[in-house]
Amino acid sequence: MVTLKIRRQDGERVWHETFPVEETPGMSVLEALFIVQEALDGGLCFRYSCRGAVCGSCAMLINKVPRLACRTQVSDAGNEMVVNAVKWGPLARPVTRVAKGEILIEPLPNMEVIRDLVVDMDHFYELLDSIEPWISAGEDVPEGGNLMSPVVEQKIEVYTGCILCATCHGACPAAARDEMYLGPAALAKAWRFSLDPREPEKDKQARLEAVDNNSGVWGCDVVFKCTAVCPKKVTPTRGILALRRQIPKNRIKNIFNRRK
Amino acid sequence: MTRLVVDEDRCTGLIAMHTPGSTLEAFGAKATVLATGGYGRIYQRSTNAIINRGYGISLAYHAGVPLQDMEFVQFHPTTLLGSNILMTEGARGEGGYLYNRLHERFMASYAHDMMELAPRDIVARSIQTEIDEGRGFDGGYVHLDITHLGEKMINERLGGIRQISIDFAGIDPVKEPIPVQPGQHYSMGGVPCDSNGATPLEGLFAAGECACVSVHGANRLGGNSLLETIVFGKRAGEHAADYVKGTIMPADGAHSDALVREKQAVYDLMGDEGESFAVVRDELRSVMQQEVGVFRHRAGLQRAVLTIRELRGRGRNVRVKSSATSFNFELLNAIELKGMLELGQVIAEGALAREESRGAHYRTDFLERDDEHWLSHTLAFQTPDGPRFEFKDVNISRFQPKRREY
Repeated sequence: MVTLKIRRQDGERVWHETFPVEETPGMSVLEALFIVQEALDGGLCFRYSCRGAVCGSCAMLINKVPRLACRTQVSDAGNEMVVNAVKWGPLARPVTRVAKGEILIEPLPNMEVIRDLVVDMDHFYELLDSIEPWISAGEDVPEGGNLMSPVVEQKIEVYTGCILCATCHGACPAAARDEMYLGPAALAKAWRFSLDPREPEKDKQARLEAVDNNSGVWGCDVVFKCTAVCPKKVTPTRGILALRRQIPKNRIKNIFNRRK
Repeated sequence: MTRLVVDEDRCTGLIAMHTPGSTLEAFGAKATVLATGGYGRIYQRSTNAIINRGYGISLAYHAGVPLQDMEFVQFHPTTLLGSNILMTEGARGEGGYLYNRLHERFMASYAHDMMELAPRDIVARSIQTEIDEGRGFDGGYVHLDITHLGEKMINERLGGIRQISIDFAGIDPVKEPIPVQPGQHYSMGGVPCDSNGATPLEGLFAAGECACVSVHGANRLGGNSLLETIVFGKRAGEHAADYVKGTIMPADGAHSDALVREKQAVYDLMGDEGESFAVVRDELRSVMQQEVGVFRHRAGLQRAVLTIRELRGRGRNVRVKSSATSFNFELLNAIELKGMLELGQVIAEGALAREESRGAHYRTDFLERDDEHWLSHTLAFQTPDGPRFEFKDVNISRFQPKRREY
């Protein structure tokens, strides 16, 4: 038997509620939530779709760590130390232990709660859209196709694994204090398009200029929390650092371009 | 979406629920494109996402569109035990072996030359036979072994498979075989449409797995669902965009009526006393898996048809206890259950009618394909007493059907 302690919210009203769930081998936290929703409280709200760590819908805060409920095993989460990151700062280490067999489930931080575990993703998507995450070149493909070297492809692939689940955003201390901070997902995506040989140079430069500010790459604390929680092994911090290195080069390029 | 609106034999829009507010709204439309996916989740074991309940298909059925070839349901041979997440064919393509409990590479007795690389339906039936005849492992599965490929190759070529096995089954395929079992994977049937996505109902288009352009016939080939997205998705969108240019916006009288009826229907679903959607749903999924699955035969299909009829009766007594006015998932589930029950009935009765084995539809009491009687599409029309079937000739041009031998 495991207990889910769930943070509930309905409008202004916030409360915690515990539900006992009979644990079966291999049970994910998402499955445990379904048991609550189907047998104990039909009003419990949480997002889901694929149950296979592909769609990114079921991101939530489980034992204070942002992660996908489908990919988190009840047997693991029920035996964990819990870190209170808010209280102990971004470099916190495990300091408290929830009762064994209890799993604390809360909505993803740094986002507005709509109800229970459902958060408003609109702002996250708007931040992402603002860096224009697409190839700006037209659809005309050059003779022989757009060939890409395997080395470049592998570098890009690290970042294309992103499923937009926003666990990184929920883990990010910069996003916590600056609502306009672009966030790890958008910045990682910006680096992904900087790497892409199909993207025209002027669009790469424009994107670099768009992230060259304190709500962009310079807002990052470089504490690798996003990288630690990413369920798809994306490394946003490395992308942000790479963008930072690229920016001085871009500034120099711009100076020469303006003189022409 | 909870209902398609039909006015004078034309689809003029739809009624949909705004999930954050649980409110119903009417949308008038010159053209409506269904892109709602397949119905895998009416089976107990499916590789599909949890939301693939086929509700969009059932709405077309309600709107008077006959459903085509619904009994052709593809079962993937290798889905991960427990979560039934897809273990790609690539695992066998790269050289993976299938073993039963006696550590026999059992495919030798089913497809001696092709072995593990035999077509999906054949491997699925072989695995199911091993399990049914007691040569599987306790819990109903066999082993997919890729340990001999080595860590480097597994990481390079099958990195996703390794990660999924670790995350969802606690198994590292570099060290141990993967427990797999057949599971529903793809719906060949759906809303009939031409190669422009146009359905028999004017103003309604369909694309993706909910549609049945019928390029997959009775059994889709691996990788070919890309056709649905890249080719037919694009064509349906372009054709619908062209269609609206010569069309006037429908009057909204029909929508207002439909909205009033739909609000009443949702209101009637609410209540403290009644069946739980989850109980009825699970019984449906169980009977579909057992009797309308990889292997089918008359007695089992008749049992399924009777059970589903009974479940449809109980489905009418499902009540929603949660009065949440935002993201009321119990309500959404209860609404979608009605569609699942109807599709289950269409599939089971269609499978009972088709007395032959063709593609993914395998009848143990009719082992051969019977082109003389059954080289035809199934069309299921909704009536108050359940589906009424008609059959339509198959359009065959360049390639005549041949006997499959491996």
